[in-house]
Amino acid sequence: MNQHPHGWGRPRDDVYGAYDSSYLNSTQPVTHTQRPIVTGTSVLGVKFQDGVIIAADNIASYGSLARYDNVERLLQVGTHTVVGAGGDMSDMQYLHLLLDNLLIKEQYPADDHHLHAPQVHSYISRVLYQRRNKFDPLWNSILTAGADPNTSEPFLSYVDLRGTTFSAPALATGFGAHLAVPILRRHVPDEAAVKDLTREDAEKLVDECMKVLWYRDARSGVTYSWSVITKEGVETGSKKIENQSWKFAEMIKGYGAQNI
Amino acid sequence: MTSIGTGYDLSNSVFSPDGRNFQVEYAQKAVENGATTIGLRCKDGVILACEKLITSKLLVPGSNKRISTIDRHLGIATSGLIPDGKHFINRARDESISWRRNFKESIPVASLADRMGSYAQAYTLYSSVRPFGVTAIIAGADDDGPGLYMIEPSGLYWGYFGAATGKGRQAAKSEIEKLNLSELSLLQAVKEAARIIYVAHDDNKDKEFEIEMTWVTRDSGKATAAVTGSRGMIWNGWVHEDVPRELVEEAAREAKKAIEEDDDEEEGQKAEKMDEDL
Amino acid sequence: MASSYLLPHAQHAPHAHPTASSQPRQHHWSPYTENGGVILGIAGKDYVIIAGDTRSSEGYNINTRTARKIFQLGSGIILGVVGMSADGEELARKVARKIDDYKRNHDKHITVSAAAVMLSRTLYQKRFFPYYCQPLLGGLDENGVGAIYTYDYVGSFEREQSRAFGSAAALITPFLDNQINLKNQFVPGSNGEEPRTPGDMPRDLVEKIVKDAFSSAVERQIEVGDGLQMVTVTRAPPRAEEEEATVEDDDEWTGSTISETLSPLKQD
Repeated sequence: MNQHPHGWGRPRDDVYGAYDSSYLNSTQPVTHTQRPIVTGTSVLGVKFQDGVIIAADNIASYGSLARYDNVERLLQVGTHTVVGAGGDMSDMQYLHLLLDNLLIKEQYPADDHHLHAPQVHSYISRVLYQRRNKFDPLWNSILTAGADPNTSEPFLSYVDLRGTTFSAPALATGFGAHLAVPILRRHVPDEAAVKDLTREDAEKLVDECMKVLWYRDARSGVTYSWSVITKEGVETGSKKIENQSWKFAEMIKGYGAQNI
Repeated sequence: MTSIGTGYDLSNSVFSPDGRNFQVEYAQKAVENGATTIGLRCKDGVILACEKLITSKLLVPGSNKRISTIDRHLGIATSGLIPDGKHFINRARDESISWRRNFKESIPVASLADRMGSYAQAYTLYSSVRPFGVTAIIAGADDDGPGLYMIEPSGLYWGYFGAATGKGRQAAKSEIEKLNLSELSLLQAVKEAARIIYVAHDDNKDKEFEIEMTWVTRDSGKATAAVTGSRGMIWNGWVHEDVPRELVEEAAREAKKAIEEDDDEEEGQKAEKMDEDL
Repeated sequence: MASSYLLPHAQHAPHAHPTASSQPRQHHWSPYTENGGVILGIAGKDYVIIAGDTRSSEGYNINTRTARKIFQLGSGIILGVVGMSADGEELARKVARKIDDYKRNHDKHITVSAAAVMLSRTLYQKRFFPYYCQPLLGGLDENGVGAIYTYDYVGSFEREQSRAFGSAAALITPFLDNQINLKNQFVPGSNGEEPRTPGDMPRDLVEKIVKDAFSSAVERQIEVGDGLQMVTVTRAPPRAEEEEATVEDDDEWTGSTISETLSPLKQD
C-alpha cells in the first residue's frame, strides 16, 4: 500500500490507474453566455418642449418566432424616469431587479432624496460597462428618459452592452436606429428644435415611427407601450397601430409567391 | 438572579442546572432600559412609535432615527443597544432583498419575522457570540393585511395586536390593552400612540423627548405610487413611511393636554379627600 | 488570456474560431467597438490647443452629433480621447480622479509631465485588456510652455509639438507637417534652397489652421463632422497682490486658463 501522504484517501494507482488530472489544466478561457436568446426590438425616445416621450412594443422574439406578445419593456424608476430596454429580455429583467433594489436602498435614509434620470442612466451604464469588462455582458440597448421635476429639463440617454453612452434630442435602439432616427431627426435635428416641438406633435411623431417599424421590422409588434415624462411625473399608456396600409407591399417583387 | 456567580452566566451555549441561559436574560435586561417603543396593529395599517430621549442639546432634532425602513412595505423599530439594532436592521434588509431576488415578490411579514427570529436565536447558541441586546418590533403588511411582530433577544417572536418594549413597557401595555385594536383606524391610532408614549414617559426624570412615529399604510398621501415604485416594480401596495409631521405634532399636543387634565383631576380629587379628612 | 484574441484587428484571426469537435460552439463577441472621430493637439510657446469633432458613430450610424471627446481633468490639464468612447470616457474619469487625489494628497497641482507618466501607467495597467482609445494629454509645463503628450493603446508615450489621432489622422497629419512644422516650405525668393524653420506661431493663426484641418477632414472622412470642440489652455493673467493673499483662491489657482468653444462643422 502507498504510505506516502500524497496518496492518502486517493484511489490506488495500481488498481484504478493514474489519476487523470488533465481537466484541471484546461487552457480554455472562462466563457459566459455570449448571445441573446429571447429578444425585444427597438425602443424610441424623443425630447419635446416640456418633457420626453419613450415607446417600445410588446413583442419578445425567440429568433424569428414571436414568442411573447405581451411584454412590458418600459420600466418606471422613481417619479420622473422611465427606462426602456431592447435586446435580451432575461438580462432586462435582471436589470429591473437591480433598479428596484437601488430604489429601495435609496429610501432607507427617508431623507426625501430621490433618484432622477441622469443618476439612473449613470447607474445602468456603470453596470453594463463593468459587465463588458468581465466578458459577461448584459445584452441590451437601453434608453433612459426623464424630466427634471423642478426645471422640466428633458433627459434622454442611450447605453448598450459595451457601455457606450450618448445623448441626443431623439434616440432609438436596434432597428429604430436605422428606420426611426432619420424621421425623428427631421423634426428635432438639435436641442434648439426641441423647444419648438409640442407634446402633441411629438406623440404623432412617435406614432409615425412605430408604424414604420411595424411595416419594416419583422421582429416588431402591433401594440406598444408609451410613457410621457414631464415635470409633473410619468404618464403611461398602451397603443395599437391604426390605419395600416399595406399597399406598398404590392410594389415589392422578388420575395414570396409572385407569378411575375 | 440568585445564580449570579455560579459560573453558569459567563457563556452563551451553557445552561444553568435549572435550565436557564443567563446571557439571554442579561440581554433582556439591556432592553428593559431601552427607549419605550410600541407598535399598534389597526384595521387599515400598523403604527410604530418610539420615545426618543434627547440625550444632548447638540443633536439635530429628528436625527438618529430608531425606526428603519426595511422594504417599501416594512419597518422595524428597535429598543436597547443601538448598534445591535443597526446590525439587526441591516440583516432584515438583506433578507428582504434576498426574498425579492428569489421570488420576485415582497417578503410577507410573517416570513421576515420568522427569518429574523431564527437569526436572533442563533446568537444564543454559540460561546463565540452574545445575544442581541435589542427587542425589535416589526411592522408591515402583505396579502393577509397588516402584521405586527416582536422579536426578543432569545429569538422568541410572537405576532401581536399591540406590542410594547423598553423602559415604559408596563405602563404602555396596560394602556394598549384598553384599545379595541381590530376596530381602530390608523388616524385614531396616531393619537393613541402619542398618548401612550406620553403616559409611559417617566416624568419624574423630566427629560425632554421626541416622538418618532412611522406607519404602514395603503393610502399614502406623500409617497405617490411612483415614489414607491409602480409598473414593473416589486411592490405589494403598502408603504412604510414617516407619519406626517403635522399629524404627530397635533397628536402630541392633544396627548399632553389630556395628561395635564388627568393630573389636575387627580390633584382635585386629592384636595377633596383632604377636605373630607379635615 | 491571449491579448491578440481581444484586439479588434485580430477578430478574424483563424485561431480565434474553435473547431467544431474539440470546443463548445461560441458566438464570438467583441468587447470593443469604434466610435470614429478625430482629435488634434498643438502645443505653442504659451498655449495648448486640443480640438476634436463632436460626431459619435458606430458603423454607418451616427449616434449623436454632440459628443465631446475632450475633457478637463482639473489642475489645468486636458485630455482628448478617440476610439471607443466608453473606454475613452472611463479613462478620462479615472485620470481626473487620480489628478484630484494627487491634489488632496500632496496639496499641490500635478505637473503635466507627472500627469503624463500617470496616464501612461494607467494605460499599461490594462496591458492585456487595453483601453481601445488613443489619448492626447495637454497642459502647460513648469515653464508655462505648451505640452502635448501622445500615447499608444498600452501606454508608450512621448512629448510632441503636434499630433492628430483618430479616423482622419492620416488626412490631417500631412497637413500639420506642412502648416505647423513647415515641411516642404521654403523661404520665398530662395528658389527652393532655404527651408522655412518652424517657430512660434501665434494662437489665432493656429486656431485657424485647426479649423481648416477639420473642415477638410469632414469632406473626406464620413466618421468626422457635425461640430468642432476646441479646448485651449493659456497662461492665467498674473494676479493682483491682494488676490494672491486669499487662501482658498490660491488653492484653486493653477496658473492656467482653460477655455472651450463649440463651432459647427458640416453634418453630411
